[in-house]
Amino acid sequence: MDYKKIGLKCGLEVHRQLDTEHKLFCDCSTKMIEKTPLTIVKRKQHPVASELGKVDVAAQYEFLRDRTFHYQVFPGEDCLVESDEEPIHALDQEALEIALQIALLLNCKIPRELHIMRKTVIDGSNTSAFQRTLIVGLDGCIEYDGRKVEITHVALEEDAASIVEEDEKNRTYKLNRLGVPLIEIGTGLLIGYTPEEVQEISYLIGMICRSTGKVKRGIGTVRQDVNVSVKNGPRVEIKGIQELGLISKVIQLEIQRQMSVPKVKKEVRAANPDGTTKFTRPLPGAARMYPETDIPPIPIDKKTIRKIKKHLPESWLKKMKRFKKKLRLSDELAKQIIRSEYLELFEKIVKKYRVNPSVAANVFVSTLKDLKKRENIQVENLEDKDFEELFGLLKERKLMKEAIPDALKYKVKNPKQPIIVGIKKLGLRVISNDELMGIVKDVIRKNKGKPEGKIIGLIMSRVRGRAKSENVVRIVKRLLKS
Amino acid sequence: MYSKRIQDVLKRKNIKIGDFIRIKGAKTVHEGILMPRIELGDTSCLVIKLSNGYNTGIKFEKGVKIEKVKKGFGIVHKHKKGMKKIIFDKKLPTISIIGTGGTIASKVDYRTGGVYASFSPEDIAMQIPELKEIANIKAEEVMSIMSEDITPEIWIRIAKEVAQDVNAGYKGVIVTHGTDTLHYTAAALGFMLRDLPCPVAVVGAQRSSDRGSSDTVMNISCAANFVANSDVAEVCTVLHGTMEDDYCLAIRGTKSRKMHTSRRDAFRPINEQPIAKIHWKNRKIEILNKNYRKRSNSKLKVDAKLNPKVALIKSYPGMDPEIFDFYLNKKYKGFVVEATGLGHTPTLGKHSLLPKIERAIKSDLPVVITSQCLYGRTHPTIYHNLRELSRRGAIFAGDMLPEIALVKLMWVLGHTRNLERVGKMMLTNYAGEINPRIGPKDFLV
Repeated sequence: MDYKKIGLKCGLEVHRQLDTEHKLFCDCSTKMIEKTPLTIVKRKQHPVASELGKVDVAAQYEFLRDRTFHYQVFPGEDCLVESDEEPIHALDQEALEIALQIALLLNCKIPRELHIMRKTVIDGSNTSAFQRTLIVGLDGCIEYDGRKVEITHVALEEDAASIVEEDEKNRTYKLNRLGVPLIEIGTGLLIGYTPEEVQEISYLIGMICRSTGKVKRGIGTVRQDVNVSVKNGPRVEIKGIQELGLISKVIQLEIQRQMSVPKVKKEVRAANPDGTTKFTRPLPGAARMYPETDIPPIPIDKKTIRKIKKHLPESWLKKMKRFKKKLRLSDELAKQIIRSEYLELFEKIVKKYRVNPSVAANVFVSTLKDLKKRENIQVENLEDKDFEELFGLLKERKLMKEAIPDALKYKVKNPKQPIIVGIKKLGLRVISNDELMGIVKDVIRKNKGKPEGKIIGLIMSRVRGRAKSENVVRIVKRLLKS
Repeated sequence: MYSKRIQDVLKRKNIKIGDFIRIKGAKTVHEGILMPRIELGDTSCLVIKLSNGYNTGIKFEKGVKIEKVKKGFGIVHKHKKGMKKIIFDKKLPTISIIGTGGTIASKVDYRTGGVYASFSPEDIAMQIPELKEIANIKAEEVMSIMSEDITPEIWIRIAKEVAQDVNAGYKGVIVTHGTDTLHYTAAALGFMLRDLPCPVAVVGAQRSSDRGSSDTVMNISCAANFVANSDVAEVCTVLHGTMEDDYCLAIRGTKSRKMHTSRRDAFRPINEQPIAKIHWKNRKIEILNKNYRKRSNSKLKVDAKLNPKVALIKSYPGMDPEIFDFYLNKKYKGFVVEATGLGHTPTLGKHSLLPKIERAIKSDLPVVITSQCLYGRTHPTIYHNLRELSRRGAIFAGDMLPEIALVKLMWVLGHTRNLERVGKMMLTNYAGEINPRIGPKDFLV
């Protein structure tokens, strides 16, 4: 398709949860691991006028549904603040610092005074009926493929409650996601880019966020919205694309949809997992913004900005160079691991366990994908500590790299068992040189006169995952010679 | 308010708050609506609303230029004063809403950046769609005061406003009020409104009315239902019963207390059951405590004689009894002591309150003993030290709350200074402030 001819215009909004200890406006944990709610609070919400005296259309629309909202409250992860029963505490400094880092990495200008705003949302996803958000950066840019991509704003906001279920009149939400710090990055109008390129830009922004080492990863921690319009038609906002690789497909399908309906409406649509979208509500306007009155604006002095600038994390370009040069990763592997959600863990493991970087990188970028794709193993259930255990065993030579897929499979299926138990059960224990020597001698004796390749094959089938193949080859060659 | 420098520039360029402006810096250009500046923070920062709705602060420093792009719509606080009648349906009863201010009437205030009372009762009423099925409304804002600034003089003003409406034949009256001292006002109305023929609901909100989650909507809706349809001729506080938007509790004004700084269900009955549970959506009024005055045709009289020269003194370990001397020298006319437990105050050595209490009583000044336990009643004779207080003529207030005893003593002293008569009146039940029978379920309700 000729995207220039159809006048494709896109805009991106990338959201990432920050991995802070506390929520943005209270002292609750951001872990979101509790399963059983402490209690449920039922509420209604009402439309209100903004400070400019207008009632937001989007808010009105939601109100007309007259829904009851059921909020599940979780121990340790929710307090009276999430229930809208206590005023917010001071802004979390850790979150602010990460947000300013990201804004500076995106070459934004930092306002001298940050104003916390209330963005009206009465779909019930926030108990207060608004989402608190503050701009921490304006007018930034990044370079993509030699072109300059405009970053209009970087905002720090509280994440909304996550929906559990709904019917005509009711909606149930989990409150533990409410208030988790979320960074929102908006691009300027992307004109002259293909859907694939728009997706690449979103990748790039994600990588920049991740270079702080302080963004959450895993399902639900990334959400992207994309605005699509064609032929100067109205803008349609598609919300909640959770998978990065889906953006170009969503855009392509939206182009098709807009080209096929007689009159495109200005509206918000939600992304389905297959890349198609569904209508959610009319597009909200600026009237939905209202200043936060519970805490005053936050001044940012030049000294603070200088200090953060001094400690900015390594840019992804530098990281790429370092991975290739120092860690001796191939070009492709370096690119893949930098894009991987496991980047931080990879770096930690290479540093802590001093395992071969290529081996570790391969586990994260291909072994896990293979296990998921070919055998549908729920690799997303593996936690950081499981990988640390795995690479610890590798370092202590209690496990061969060939046995990694089986070890991971075991761990997913037996999450409570240590990997070492699995190694023993599956017979993946590393065999000693003496043992290996015995097996080699035995096979050679039983297969006298057979070609070397055949013999190596037979031995490998007995020791796969328990001995290094180069050792086998070396011993076989030596013994056959003598 | 902006700094003098900014104000001067704005004046020179004829730029008003609400205008669409462009701010040019050395490297940056920002456009947006000029917003009012709050007092807190850096007054040399311009606040503009960007096209995406965000406000942001831009330092007005050397090299920064401001220009007007176009005239905006003015951001003005329309403050509707005066009385307004809203008739939805002639068959419905008509009730009165009297606005006094507080969180319930609040929205963003650009002076402080916090919220301040600026919604009129009419604005509030118009926010609640179901009111048109409950009652016709006469709404009037008589003042706009946050509850911490309410004074005994204001109680009298409110009492007179209520009486006027009650005697004009409205089916019931709602007083909207800040929550902090809402129960003081409710109690004062209870004492001053004699022969009350209809319900009076004192209503507040813990979340300001400019929020989509405000408790105003349910509280006013339930209060309107209560004053229009119940037969409870008492002054009650009407606010959320739980953290949920399910029902409100009508609690006798003299038995109600704010027990939480921020929860919606902060108001709890102390030492008795709430009078009624008012369900929001199905509008059922469930009576929980039958001990109340019934609706009648009696004519309401305002008995507004008050003497505000009463001190409330809290007893605590190591307190200095000399605090009494201050009040005595300032010619205070009565004391309420928030004593410990059953009504104790220190009795030993230099911390003993006994000589001071004795001095007060000998000067014909009443000393009323209440308990900081709040729940339960004081007792004059169980312990030796209590008898020491009692022997000196202190009045033990039973289960009356300290704040309510304070309001009552002001009211009583407005009627008599005779110590014996003060004692008698303090122990006479005028507005349900004394519950002679506290039941097992009357704790932590």
